[in-house]
Amino acid sequence: MFDQKGQIRIIEAFLAIAVIFSVLLISGTFPSSPNLDRQKSLANLGTQALIKLDTNGTLGNLILQENWTAMKRSLDILLPIGVSFNLTIYDENLRPINSQAIQNSNLLSREAVSVQYVCAAQNLDVQFFVLRLQLAWTR
Amino acid sequence: MRGRKKMSQKRNNSGQILLIVAFIMASLLLSAQLYIFEVGKITGEMESDSLNDFLLATKLGSRHVVIGSLANISNGGQSSNLAGNLQRWSSLISKQYQFGKSVLTYTLKDTTPYSSGIWTFWGANGIGVSSAYANFTYKLSDREVDVDQSYFMNITSTVFIESSYQTLSGDTKQVNVTINVFNEENTALAKQITIYYKLLDSWQIPNATNSYTISDYGNGTYIASFAANIPSLNVEVSAHIVDQRGIYVKANATSIQI
Repeated sequence: MFDQKGQIRIIEAFLAIAVIFSVLLISGTFPSSPNLDRQKSLANLGTQALIKLDTNGTLGNLILQENWTAMKRSLDILLPIGVSFNLTIYDENLRPINSQAIQNSNLLSREAVSVQYVCAAQNLDVQFFVLRLQLAWTR
Repeated sequence: MRGRKKMSQKRNNSGQILLIVAFIMASLLLSAQLYIFEVGKITGEMESDSLNDFLLATKLGSRHVVIGSLANISNGGQSSNLAGNLQRWSSLISKQYQFGKSVLTYTLKDTTPYSSGIWTFWGANGIGVSSAYANFTYKLSDREVDVDQSYFMNITSTVFIESSYQTLSGDTKQVNVTINVFNEENTALAKQITIYYKLLDSWQIPNATNSYTISDYGNGTYIASFAANIPSLNVEVSAHIVDQRGIYVKANATSIQI
């Protein structure tokens, strides 16, 4: 009788431990909440870089000249070291127009943020472009 | 005897209490984890930052549209191009903001000397003006903010010219033209300057045969000099400027003899 009671207690103790462990396991599978401060600052950095380029019309001119190399170089300078980016430029009808990738490294498997920017070029025809800049911290 | 029985019942229940405590702890752990996850999703501040950037980008774009339109119109385009381009811009902007409803409206200045937002004055008194003026209202409403912001864009390229000449021999005159270029109220550089002088009833461009030189002082001031055979004592000159923004402006002046 006493032996049986002991076994039941051991089973109950194991059950209790199992409950606690299973909760710990379940909570571990929760998606970790993204680090929004880091993502926010990254999105701000991206937008500020595009605004700086756009202030004197350089952004629109580089797009009109299809000078993707200069565009990449400008973003390399304006964005801090440790930020990966990939820029896609669309025309007014949302057709992509950059014939080559404007990126400094691959963003695959990184937590990326996307910034959308509308730009008007100061040419005689006044063309509009929509820019989508994806950014991720390298580390 | 009764005390013993109570004691043994307590011991019998202790395993169940252990389980209940384990369940309570588990639910506490889970609810704490859920709370932390939900708190991490607060995005209010993020929205306000992106909204400010969006407004800034909208203003910058509006400025570029007005500049491009003025460049087009001053180079011979139709004055309705300003309204057309702003309509396209407003429509594009209204589609862009993802977190709420955004509407950009514009009105073109129609009070004298502007007409449909455009004023060009290419006078004979040494002053030339190419200008565009538009008022904008941007309204945005989303879950957390209501924005109602008005701004205006006044893009003005101005050129002032002064000219003097001295007679070298016979009808040959040495003519100097001083040109000052302004964007809005600031001195500005020119992308292209073409000087003309009037010979009989036609305008001539001085070239190397006229010993034509132009000095750039780097601050929006240029001095052009040339020698030309002009029989009339009334020497008329004209300066046609395209500024760095592509806006064309010209001014005519009568040269003063020194």
